[in-house]
Amino acid sequence: MEKTKKKSVLSLFSNQKYIVILVVILLSAIFMIASADFRKYTTFVTLLDMSYYYVLMGIGVAFPLITGGVDLSIGTGMVCYALVGGYLVRNAGVPVIVGILVALLFGIGIGALNGVLVAVMDLPAFLATLCTCMITRGLGSLLTFKSTVPWPTDKQPGGWFHSIFKITTGNNTKIPLGFLWVIILMVIMAFVLKHTKFGRYVIAIGSNKEATILSGINVKFFHIMAYVVCGLFAGLAAIPYASAIPTIQPGTGAGVELDAIGGAIVGGVSATGGSGSIEGTFFGVYVICLLKVGLPFIGLQANWQQVITGAILIGAVMIDIVKKRRAIATGQAAA
Amino acid sequence: MEKFKNSAFVKKVGFNRIVLAGVLILMYVIFSVAIKGFLGSSHLMGTLNYVYFLGFLSLGVTFVIATGGIDFSIGPVMFCCALISGYCFGTYHVPMAVAVILCILVGLLFGMFNGYLVAYWDVPPFIVSMASMNIAKGAASIFTKTQSISWPRAEEAGGWFRSIVKVGDFPMGLILFLVGAAICAVILNNTRIGRYILCLGSNKEAVRLSGVNVRKWLMLAYVICGILVGIAALFFVATYTTVQPNYGDQYNNEAIAGCVMGGTSMAGGLASIGGTVIGVFIIALLQEGILALGLAKDVQLIITGVIVIVAVYADVLARRRRK
Amino acid sequence: MGEEILRMEEIDKSFPGVHALDHVHFNLNRGEVHALMGENGAGKSTLMKVLTGIYSKDSGKIIYEGKEAEFHNTREAQEAGIVIVHQELNMVGDLTVAQNIFIGREFMSGIKINDRKMVEESKKLFDRLHIEINPTEKMSNLTVGKQQMCEIAKAISHECKVIIFDEPSAALTEKEIDDLFTIIRDLREQNMGIIYISHRMDEIKVITDRVTVMRDGTYVGTLITKDCTKDDIVKMMVGRVIYEQPKEKSLVPDDAPVVLKVDHLNAGKMVQDVSFELHKGEILGFSGLMGAGRTETARAVFGADPKQSGDIYINGKKVEINSPEDAVHHGIGYLSEDRKRYGVVVQKSITENSTLACLDDYISGIFINKAKEKEAAETYIKELDTKTPSADQLVVNLSGGNQQKIVIAKWLVKNCDILIFDEPTRGIDVGAKNEIYKLMNRLASEGKSIIMISSEMQEILRMSDRIVIMCEGKKTGELKIEEATQEKIMDKATRDIK
Repeated sequence: MEKTKKKSVLSLFSNQKYIVILVVILLSAIFMIASADFRKYTTFVTLLDMSYYYVLMGIGVAFPLITGGVDLSIGTGMVCYALVGGYLVRNAGVPVIVGILVALLFGIGIGALNGVLVAVMDLPAFLATLCTCMITRGLGSLLTFKSTVPWPTDKQPGGWFHSIFKITTGNNTKIPLGFLWVIILMVIMAFVLKHTKFGRYVIAIGSNKEATILSGINVKFFHIMAYVVCGLFAGLAAIPYASAIPTIQPGTGAGVELDAIGGAIVGGVSATGGSGSIEGTFFGVYVICLLKVGLPFIGLQANWQQVITGAILIGAVMIDIVKKRRAIATGQAAA
Repeated sequence: MEKFKNSAFVKKVGFNRIVLAGVLILMYVIFSVAIKGFLGSSHLMGTLNYVYFLGFLSLGVTFVIATGGIDFSIGPVMFCCALISGYCFGTYHVPMAVAVILCILVGLLFGMFNGYLVAYWDVPPFIVSMASMNIAKGAASIFTKTQSISWPRAEEAGGWFRSIVKVGDFPMGLILFLVGAAICAVILNNTRIGRYILCLGSNKEAVRLSGVNVRKWLMLAYVICGILVGIAALFFVATYTTVQPNYGDQYNNEAIAGCVMGGTSMAGGLASIGGTVIGVFIIALLQEGILALGLAKDVQLIITGVIVIVAVYADVLARRRRK
Repeated sequence: MGEEILRMEEIDKSFPGVHALDHVHFNLNRGEVHALMGENGAGKSTLMKVLTGIYSKDSGKIIYEGKEAEFHNTREAQEAGIVIVHQELNMVGDLTVAQNIFIGREFMSGIKINDRKMVEESKKLFDRLHIEINPTEKMSNLTVGKQQMCEIAKAISHECKVIIFDEPSAALTEKEIDDLFTIIRDLREQNMGIIYISHRMDEIKVITDRVTVMRDGTYVGTLITKDCTKDDIVKMMVGRVIYEQPKEKSLVPDDAPVVLKVDHLNAGKMVQDVSFELHKGEILGFSGLMGAGRTETARAVFGADPKQSGDIYINGKKVEINSPEDAVHHGIGYLSEDRKRYGVVVQKSITENSTLACLDDYISGIFINKAKEKEAAETYIKELDTKTPSADQLVVNLSGGNQQKIVIAKWLVKNCDILIFDEPTRGIDVGAKNEIYKLMNRLASEGKSIIMISSEMQEILRMSDRIVIMCEGKKTGELKIEEATQEKIMDKATRDIK
């Protein structure tokens, strides 16, 4: 007699997205206990400030990851879009809102390019996006004639966009408004993944592409859209990036995607596709950000964070693999 | 055209490689015409300098791609090797010979790490690469306390290692690179390791069902890559002296580009050392030519990115035809 | 039973080298359950694929609802009301049951997918069909049997008039089969036409109204189920003139040593407590229908798949085989069913493939002795009469029969004493088949021991010294060639052991 899995409190906790929340809480607790400075409000604000672009990239890259692919161009892409937008504002005198729009459109464009390369031309996702990573790195620098680009500071005209993320009140406390926006976006995209056709088919493609094709669904379209969404969010990420980094340097940005992708995987997105959640990604990215910000407070260089992130990424994937192997060994249906 | 394609000479050398060599020569001619003084030896030197370390990186990643996998931790790992062993030389005063061996050893260790995870744990190679990349950057930074490391110049103590690149005016590096490439070609085509790597890259299950310990040979491919990355590190510092932590990403792409351009298939099973060598020269020449033209490095990046896309797509099409 | 809803007349279909359907007839009435039976390769699946538009027929007529019809793909057939439930599952594991059933035609409220409605409709569907599955359960958590039920429910949820079940009960438990039959009876009440492809006699007897039997691509006849016996059907399935003479007598002496003994092997559902012995110089035929567990048994013995329990003895000594490496080390070679996927590395040369199982023997120092390799490859090209211009030819350029010879060569170069041939002549033309038979006999007479898995009755009877029959994971019988007949074999291959 076959049994189906019984739901128990324990199995609820084996769901990665809840483990991640626990990890976030745990890490925060550890850092707060270990360091008085960490407990300061300003630290909290700094942490949030630098987290926005990671979170946005993470939310975006979750979609290609869930289809079983990846987008490695988000880091250099984000920098490229920020550079181009900022250049137009700085040197061509366009209003900031247009600069922002240009960044978004550029992101969508590169996203579409990635989508075509992977979904239509059948190139391996990591290679195709590695190439667009190089291309956006080159473009970012080329289109701005190799200048470093500062977006307007909050005192200058056009600097209003900073207040999307942070408001300074009368007695000089800073309120991290940006946190509200990323939460809203997270909620929206979680809804998209779980309850819209687009999200549904993205999961189906990652889980069993052939079966999805056989069901008569236009797989190519939705597959491309996954990358377009990713590109859009890389463009969105450019805005808080521009706000957080006073002067954007061309040629930077490589390595940032690892933190976003690592965050998504830690948050429960499967490396081979088919499963994952936006909420999990959200918290997973915060695990990475907490490490980045917190480790120096307990005396470890920021570079330890890189090593630890790498180890965590592998650990997360290995847990997933062990689970799969165990399922096959006990002869369950999933093989 | 068909007759040319089917002639014995072409079959032996490989049509793709002839086309590549043609592209290389064409590029050289174009640059020589377009840029004054390009024919001069300083540009040749510049190109060769770039070839040495990039060449060994490409050779290394050829073995990995031949198994159907990928490794884009090679750039940061190369820097990690150079940083750690250079630090040992500069701060702990280990003899240069030891530093050289240490450099290669670090590469070997990363190769083992990557290979073990891919072969025995079935972790997707691109994830292992990403994690390795991070770990290499972080480890190097921590070890050297985020300082950049300069290896000794030729006239300083321990500077003898530079003779791998140049002995007087003689481009020793070129000889060593070509010798290295030849050894790799022999390994790939004439030894057990090479045979198993190519076969398992083409059809892993069929090889497993023939009684071969597939996991072992798969891991070895990554180990070989690691060793070659360590060697690449030596050539890098012998040429450019200084290495910084948190650097090296761009060389990943270029190394993979050289390899893929040369005819090594991303799907695995098909690899060409000769093609990789020519591919590396093309990239190095491109780099040098673009610089000489006064254009930004960025143009070269964009062009390289496009070239790889074209090369891989050509491979995809060829694969469809072969089925 | 109502009036005729479907008639297929003189359907003819050929593939290169194979006349798959030879003027086949089939008709189906409304409110009828009509069984389609035949051995593996009889043409049942092909006929259905022609009906549902996966294949196009070469000649013949399909008359559906009184009008001539031709479907070019499954979508067209589906829209006309003809639905097929395939043997292979096409489910998206990470989505829930309800999400799978309605995939591609979700209920929407604005841009939001109305999952609640999908669950409700699924529940209604399941209630109607008396299936007890939770629609909110993730598909990959269900057993294969339950997934199949979902596949069936999904097919039925389309508006259909004809529904085809292809081996539906293969993965179901007894209770699930009962539920399936209730569903089928229900559908029959609703005046649907049901085609039921199965090899399970007992089920045919219980649920069907008529039985059509095919054999070797031809239509043999149609019987009314309640008026016929199992023997009648078996006779129709196998009653062919055997052009080859079956082996009359085994030349293997009774006291020949046991080279391989498999004891109580268990490897999942397909290999349950299987035990058998292989003697030196013997050809042991493994007979049974598709899904009987023969390949799974062979793979478990060879170490290609993990096993839960069981002992293997070679020449009387117990050996540990946990991987193909172990098996090859002990002198066992395995030629898989799917030679292109698992037998050869098609993009490599004949030489490279030939020495793949024993490359160590061709190493001098650290280099591969290519001359020696080529010599070995050429030796076997000659011995097996492989048609190729040279040993450097890539395997992908060889014909099926010749590719098979390369696989055989690989194990001969390794000098294995025990060879497991899994469907050795599948997809190979008659001429090459005979060569392989001759080769197998020669190997046996030279003292090698062979296990031959085959779904071709002729082949089993012609080649085997003894025959082991399997059915649904269990060994159901063992016959000496002297006492074997097609009927006896088919009988054991189709009986359920309760």
